[in-house]
Amino acid sequence: MSTVKSKKLQVGTDATSSNNFTIYQPATPDGTLRIGVGNAENPTEVGQFNANGYKPQQPVAFRAFLGSNQAVSVGVFTKMTFNTEEFDTNSNYDHSTNYRFTPTVAGYYQVDLKAQWVNNGQGLIMVHKNGASYAWGNYPVNGYGSMASALIYMNGSTDYIEGFVYFAANNTVNSNPATTYFNSILIAQA
Amino acid sequence: MTLYEKITTLYTELTDADFAPDTGTIMLQNDSDGRGDYIKEWNHPTLAQPTQEQLDGVQ
Repeated sequence: MSTVKSKKLQVGTDATSSNNFTIYQPATPDGTLRIGVGNAENPTEVGQFNANGYKPQQPVAFRAFLGSNQAVSVGVFTKMTFNTEEFDTNSNYDHSTNYRFTPTVAGYYQVDLKAQWVNNGQGLIMVHKNGASYAWGNYPVNGYGSMASALIYMNGSTDYIEGFVYFAANNTVNSNPATTYFNSILIAQA
Repeated sequence: MTLYEKITTLYTELTDADFAPDTGTIMLQNDSDGRGDYIKEWNHPTLAQPTQEQLDGVQ
């Protein structure tokens, strides 16, 4: 029985490189085995194993909240300015200009948008996808908040989501990060 | 004076329901980009969308 030792092993010899795979040790060994798509000369990494088994890639996820209370005009759908990030693993959330999440990995995302008002009153929140309303929160006549939750497909390039709020009477969104937040996580690539 | 207030001053027959998310035919929006409130949709069955001149004339 012979032993083969190599830093790279290409699986497949198709003329189209994307039909082949390569398993390899990184240039600077770090205890991981990498799997890539493509020929051995230039594989694109798609997964890793380490001593504990398969090492999942860091999930695409973000969570953001308001840095201060947000006043909103009556009768106007207003984008919520979630300008403070708790985490943004893939740098896909814009917390300074457009306050939108534009993931660069295509797939299905769980999205949660929640807001609490300062005063009792009628209002609701909405998740907008690509500029149009996609998921509404509850819209009670009297209450202190609203929450929307949705599973949304994002194409990984142009699709984006934003959070909007609407008040039927004068009110303000409370910035408490425990009660007003916008978050999303990739559930499955597609 | 907000855009909502200007419109409801011009058209006193409008009510909150005309702007409401579930029943309204008029949608005002603010993208929080510094440009302020604007009319995103106007589908009222009898009232015409006010011109900028009309809105500017409301005191």
